[in-house]
Amino acid sequence: MAKIILIIEDDNFLQGLEATKLKKEGYDVLAAGNSVEAFKIIDDPKNKLDLILLDLLLPEVDGFMILERIRQNKEFLTIPVIVFSNLSEEKDIKRAQKLGISEFMVKSNFTLDELATKIKGLIGS
Amino acid sequence: MDENEIKNLQEENDKLKQSLSVKSDIVSISAHQIRTSLSALKWIIKMFLDGDLGKATPEQENLMRKAYEGNDRAIGIVNELLLANKTENTTEKKYVFESVDMAEIIEHSIFDFSGEAYNKGIEIIFLKPEEKMPALRADKEKIRVVFQNILENAIKYSNDHGKVFITIRKDGDGFMEISVKDTGIGISEDGKKKLFEKFYRDPEAQKKEIIGSGIGLFTIKKIVEDHGGKIWFESEKEAGTTFFFKIPEFKQAQI
Repeated sequence: MAKIILIIEDDNFLQGLEATKLKKEGYDVLAAGNSVEAFKIIDDPKNKLDLILLDLLLPEVDGFMILERIRQNKEFLTIPVIVFSNLSEEKDIKRAQKLGISEFMVKSNFTLDELATKIKGLIGS
Repeated sequence: MDENEIKNLQEENDKLKQSLSVKSDIVSISAHQIRTSLSALKWIIKMFLDGDLGKATPEQENLMRKAYEGNDRAIGIVNELLLANKTENTTEKKYVFESVDMAEIIEHSIFDFSGEAYNKGIEIIFLKPEEKMPALRADKEKIRVVFQNILENAIKYSNDHGKVFITIRKDGDGFMEISVKDTGIGISEDGKKKLFEKFYRDPEAQKKEIIGSGIGLFTIKKIVEDHGGKIWFESEKEAGTTFFFKIPEFKQAQI
């Protein structure tokens, strides 16, 4: 069965490109543009998520707050989360690392192939 | 100077600090937005290059490759802008010295620049000593800026399919010495004298990378010296350049 990835990204265009690439790599992809949509997916027990790809600058509730809430849920204590953002300050990286992430990737420094390779390394194909 | 004049000057100073902080926020937010657009461009052009959207003619592919490189240069400029913005703030802020694991910063930075290195076919080799190295007494964020600036230059000015070697060692005088060696174009004679001056750009570097702010090395020299350290380089034309910097080791009683 294909592994399931949740993309949390408010920019529709980027979200579309990321989803297209990951589907092509054989993953099932669910997508959310804000925290409400994200938790609708996360809190639904039917969705057995394998990895979350998280943007940080989101409307109203930002990625840090989403990450904090994800880690408060026992079921999601260990789910791999890749932060995929264009923030790159040490304070942002540290803050995300403290909350528990597998990787912090600056979007403009990576191609989608490199993202896919990173995901494959974490959860397989 | 009477009390009123001092008060007026303090008020003016506060206003200037406030406007500098607003300017810095504007730069930071704009840089983020620009990076978002550049990311989209980077990914789309890569899809063309990989043939995801159908096979391109050699001419189309050649132009796409140029577009990809141009876009990456623009990303580099945004990164430099962020560095300059951060350093401007740095002069206002005090350094926060703590015990810093340099090997960890090196490993994270190699990962951060792996995409850029891969695109140029450059191999980054970290000759990490087997024994654990003493920590540095440093401001972690600023020393990361120093290392990443040197590493980025090494990749940028290396010839395609070159190698970048990174070492770390104790120098015996209570300092840790870090070196980054590239197999690049080398530094001109003029550049050897002026490389750390503000806004200076080596003519050899300009041939390779037309765009650059000339602020990076000036900035990192200041940071290294504020740590009580030293930065220098050895370079041979067409053979490559090695940058060295040394920072005091962390001792418990120093903080």
